[in-house]
Amino acid sequence: MLKSLTIIFLFLILGEFVNYIFKVPIAGNIIGMVLIFLALKFKLIKLEMVKPASDKLLKYLVLFFVPYGVGLMVHFETIKAHWFSIGLAVLGSTILTLYLTAFIQEKLQKK
Amino acid sequence: MKTFLSLPVVWVFLTLAIYFLAQGIHKKVKWALTTPILVTIFVLILLLSVFDVDFETYDSGGKFLSFFLGPSVVALGVLFYEKLDEIKSNLLPFCIAVFVGGIGSILSLIFILMALKAPEVLMRSLAPKSVTTPIAIEIAKSVGGVPSITAGIVIAVGIFGNAFGIYILKFLGITSKTAIGTALGTASHGIGTARALEESELSGVYSGLALCVNGLVTAIVTPLVIDWIFA
Repeated sequence: MLKSLTIIFLFLILGEFVNYIFKVPIAGNIIGMVLIFLALKFKLIKLEMVKPASDKLLKYLVLFFVPYGVGLMVHFETIKAHWFSIGLAVLGSTILTLYLTAFIQEKLQKK
Repeated sequence: MKTFLSLPVVWVFLTLAIYFLAQGIHKKVKWALTTPILVTIFVLILLLSVFDVDFETYDSGGKFLSFFLGPSVVALGVLFYEKLDEIKSNLLPFCIAVFVGGIGSILSLIFILMALKAPEVLMRSLAPKSVTTPIAIEIAKSVGGVPSITAGIVIAVGIFGNAFGIYILKFLGITSKTAIGTALGTASHGIGTARALEESELSGVYSGLALCVNGLVTAIVTPLVIDWIFA
C-alpha cells in the first residue's frame, strides 16, 4: 500500500512538474494520469505496483468531491439573479447531453 | 463555540460522519434524492448556515479531503490501463458519442439561453458547463465568461449527473453499462464519473475516459462556437 501510494504521488508530482515547466493550461493531476498510463503501457512499472492504492482512492472518489459541492454556497448570490434562465438551460442541456451521448454509444457499439 | 467550530478537524469529522450516515440511508432508501453526495452537501451547507460559519472556515478542514482528488485522478490512469482492452473494441463509437455529446452540450446550452433572452455573459460563462472545473474555468476565461459563475454551475451539473443521471438514462431506455458510463463522463465530468464507478468498473472506465476526451473537445470547440454565434 505504501509503495503504491508513493508511486501514485510520484506521478502526481511529475504531472505538476510538467505543468510548471511548460505552463500548459492542463491540470497537473491530468498530466500525471496520462503519464502513469503511458508508464504502465510501456512496462516501466507493473500494475501490481500501483493497484492497491489506486483502487482505494477510486473507492472514495465521491467523498473527495464533497468540499467542492459545499463551495456552491459561495456562488448563491451570483446565480440567484438569473436562477430561472440558468436552471432551465443547465437542466435541459445536461439531460440532452446525457441522452445524446448514451444513445449514440449504445447504437454504434458492438454488442 | 465559534472558535471551536472554526477548528479544521470539526469539519473533517462532520463531513466524514454525514457522508457515512448518508451512505447508510442510501442503502435503505434508493432514491435519487438520497444520493450520498447530495444529502451530505445539503446537510453541511445547512449546518454552516445555522451556525453562521463561512465556506473558508469549512474548507480549512474540507481541503484535507479534496486534496485526495489529485492522486485519485492519477489513479484513473491506472484504471484506464487495466480496462484498455475493453475500450479498444469500441473506440470509434465511443469517440463519436463523446464528440457529438460534447458539442451538443455547448450548442443546446447557448440556444436555450438565447431563447430565454438571457444576457450574453451567461452563455460565455456556462458554455463549458459539462467539463471538469479546472478546464471549464480556463475555457470560460478565454471566451470572456465569469469564472466564479462557471465554477458554481460546473459543480452543480456534476452533482445533478451523480444523483439523477443514471435514473434519467434508464427511464429513457438506455441499458448498456458502457453507454451509461460514457454519458455520465461527457455530461457531468468527475462527479458523474464517481457515480459511474459505483455502478461498475466498466462504466467507470468509459466515464473517466469520456471526461478527458470531452475536456479536450470542449476546450477546442467552445471558442469556435462563441466566435461563430457572436461574430
